[in-house]
Amino acid sequence: MNGTPTLEIRGLNKSFGPVHVLRDVDFTIHAGQVTALVGDNGAGKSTLVKCIGGIYPMDSGQCIFEGRPVTVNHPKDAARLGIEIVHQDLALCDNLNIVENMFLGRERRSGIVLDELTMERRAAETLASLSVRTVISVRQQVASLSGGQRQTVAIAKAVLWNNKVVILDEPTAALGVAQTAQVLELVRRLADNGLAVILISHNMNDVFAVSDHIAALYLGRMAAQVPATEVTHAQVVELITSGHSGPLGLQSQQKAGSPEGSDDLDLVTDPGKGAQR
Amino acid sequence: MRAGPSQEEIRRHNLGVLLRSVHVHGATSRAELTANLGLNRSTIGALTAELATAGLVTEEIPRDRGRAGRPSLVVRPESEMVYVLAFAIGVDRVTAARVGLGGLVLDRREAPRAPGQAPAEEVVAPLVDLARQMRDLAPAGARHIGTGVAVTPMIRERDGQVRPRAYGSWASDPLSEALTEAIRADVNGDFPIARLGTADLAALAEHTRGVAIGCANVIYLHGDAGIGGGIIAAGRPLTGHGGNGGEVGHMVVNPAGKPCCCGSRGCWETEIGEHALLTAAGRPIGGGAAGIAAVLDAAARGDAEAQTAVRKVGDWLGFGVANLVNIFNPEMVVFGGTLRELYLASAAQVRSRLNRNGLQAYREHVRLRTSALGDDAPLLGAAELAFERLLADPLNDQVTELDSTGTMTAQSGVT
Repeated sequence: MNGTPTLEIRGLNKSFGPVHVLRDVDFTIHAGQVTALVGDNGAGKSTLVKCIGGIYPMDSGQCIFEGRPVTVNHPKDAARLGIEIVHQDLALCDNLNIVENMFLGRERRSGIVLDELTMERRAAETLASLSVRTVISVRQQVASLSGGQRQTVAIAKAVLWNNKVVILDEPTAALGVAQTAQVLELVRRLADNGLAVILISHNMNDVFAVSDHIAALYLGRMAAQVPATEVTHAQVVELITSGHSGPLGLQSQQKAGSPEGSDDLDLVTDPGKGAQR
Repeated sequence: MRAGPSQEEIRRHNLGVLLRSVHVHGATSRAELTANLGLNRSTIGALTAELATAGLVTEEIPRDRGRAGRPSLVVRPESEMVYVLAFAIGVDRVTAARVGLGGLVLDRREAPRAPGQAPAEEVVAPLVDLARQMRDLAPAGARHIGTGVAVTPMIRERDGQVRPRAYGSWASDPLSEALTEAIRADVNGDFPIARLGTADLAALAEHTRGVAIGCANVIYLHGDAGIGGGIIAAGRPLTGHGGNGGEVGHMVVNPAGKPCCCGSRGCWETEIGEHALLTAAGRPIGGGAAGIAAVLDAAARGDAEAQTAVRKVGDWLGFGVANLVNIFNPEMVVFGGTLRELYLASAAQVRSRLNRNGLQAYREHVRLRTSALGDDAPLLGAAELAFERLLADPLNDQVTELDSTGTMTAQSGVT
C-alpha cells in the first residue's frame, strides 16, 4: 500500500432501530486496486457500501476522501466526490438504448436540443477505453443485450463520469462462464486504469482472480482487511464463517468449534442470493 | 580496443529508437518524442526527416490544436505502406495477417486445418495462398519488409491427441522448414523469416501491445493441446539456445504423476492440461477448448465432480506458477489460451497455492492477469518479430534503396 488512500472509513457505526448492523468498521481503499468485500449474508456488506454511497447516513464514524474529511449524507454528495455504485439489479432501462442509458438524467445539451453526437461519441469512447468488443452498436436497445453485456454497460456508465471509486455489487452473479470471465477482466481493467474498485462477491474465485485486498466482514465487524497475496482460500472462508483464522481476524471473539480445513467449503454457488434483495 | 561508438553508430541507434517509439506508441508529436527519448529537439527533427525520406514515417500538422503557439508536428508510422506478413499455425487453424508499421492489422485471414499431423506441404499450402491474396490487395508501392511465423510443431499421439512437440528444436522441424521454403520462394525472395514458438510470440505481443505493457519481466502461459510458456526477462524474450526456451509444460511438478508424451513423468502438462481436467471430471477425452469450457460451465452450475476437478487442476496450476515466480521473479504472469478461463474459474486455488509456495517478497509484487489480445496474440507477436530487423537499423536494410551514408550527409542540418 502506498500513498494516500482514496477513501478511508474509520469507526463506522450504523444501527437500524435496535439492530446494530455495523460496529466500529474501519475500511480503506486505494486507487488502482480492487478491494474485495466479502462476508456472509447479513454481515453488513450492503449496508457498508450504502453508507459509503450516501444512501444511508452514518450514525458515527469518519469518512476521509483523498486525505480530506468529508460528510456523505446523500447520494448526490457521493456523486460529487466521484463515488458510483453499480447495483446488483443494474438499474438500466430496457426500453432505452446504450447511449440513453449511460447519460440518463445527465444528458448533454447543445442549445435546447440534446447533443446526441457528443453523447454517442463519449459512450463509444468509454466502451473502447474498457476494451469492450462485445457490444455491436451503442444504439442497441438494452433489452436486446445479454446479461454480461448489461453488466458491461452498467459498469461503463459508472466510468463515464470520471469517477474515482466504483462499487460493484455481485457483478458476476447469474452470468455464464464466458461472460463472467469478460466481466472479471473488465473489473481488473478498471483498477489498472487507476480507479479504486470495491467488489462485493460471494464467489471466492472471482475474489482471488481480481482483488489486491480482501476485507472480510463478520456480523457487522471488520474481521480483517488483508492483501490477497497473504491469505489462502481456506483462511478467507474461515474469516467469513467465524470471524478469525489463526492470527488473523477478531481475536477477542474466539469461539469454540470454529470450522477447520474449510478448503472443502464450497462458496462457488450462492444459495442465499435471492434472499438478499 | 575500440574507443566507443562512432557518431554514425549513435545516429543509427537513435533512428532505431525513434522509429521503435512511433511503432509501439503510435502517432506522437515531435515535442513528446523530444521529452520521451531525451534527445535534442533539432536531433529529433533531423532523425524524423531521415525516416520520412525513407518512407517509414509521415509528419503532419495535428488536427485539433487546443493550445496557443506553433503546433508540434505529429510523427506517424507509415502503416499502409510498410508492412510485414505474419503467420500462426494453431491446433485447428492457420492464420495469416498483413500488419503495418505501428502494429496495425491491415488484413487478416484464416483457414481451417484438420487437427493432427499432416504432411508439411499440406499445412503450408493454404498459408501461402492467404499470403498471396493479401499481397495482391496491398496498395501499389507498399513495401513488404519481413515475415514472422508462430510455430507449434505437432506430433500425432496414439490417442489422437495433438500436442506441442516437447523435444528437438524448431530449426530442424520439417513443418517450419517447408514453410520457410515455400514463403521464401513465393512471397519474398531475400528476407530471412523470423520464427519462434507460439507462446514466446504471444508473450512478446502481450509485452508490446497487450496486458503487460511496461512490464520488463513477464511470464506468459499458453494452454491449448499442451502447455506452453513464453518468458520476457529484462524486456527481451528469453528464447534459450536454439529458440526452445520456456517449455514450462515439461517442468516436473509431481514425480509420482502420470507419464508424459515427452517420456518423463508428472510434467506440469500432465497435471493441468486438457487431458488432466477432462479425466478428473470423468469426461471423455477430446473436444479441445470446447471440452474444457464444458467442464468449467458444469462447475459453475454446481456439478460437484466438475468442481472437484477444477479445484484440483487449479491447485496444480498454482504449484507451477509458484515455481516460476520463485525462479524468475516476474512482475506479471499472463494466462492465455485455455488457461485464461481455467485460471479465472480456479483463481482461489491458484492464488492460495502461490501464497503458500511462493516466496513472500516475490509473490507480493507479481500480478496475475489474463491475456488482453486473446487468440491473436501469437500472430501479433510474429509481426513484432518480423519488424525487429527494421527497427534495429531502419535505414541500413534492403528495405530502403537509399544509401544511408548519402542520406546522412544530405539531411544533416535539417531541423
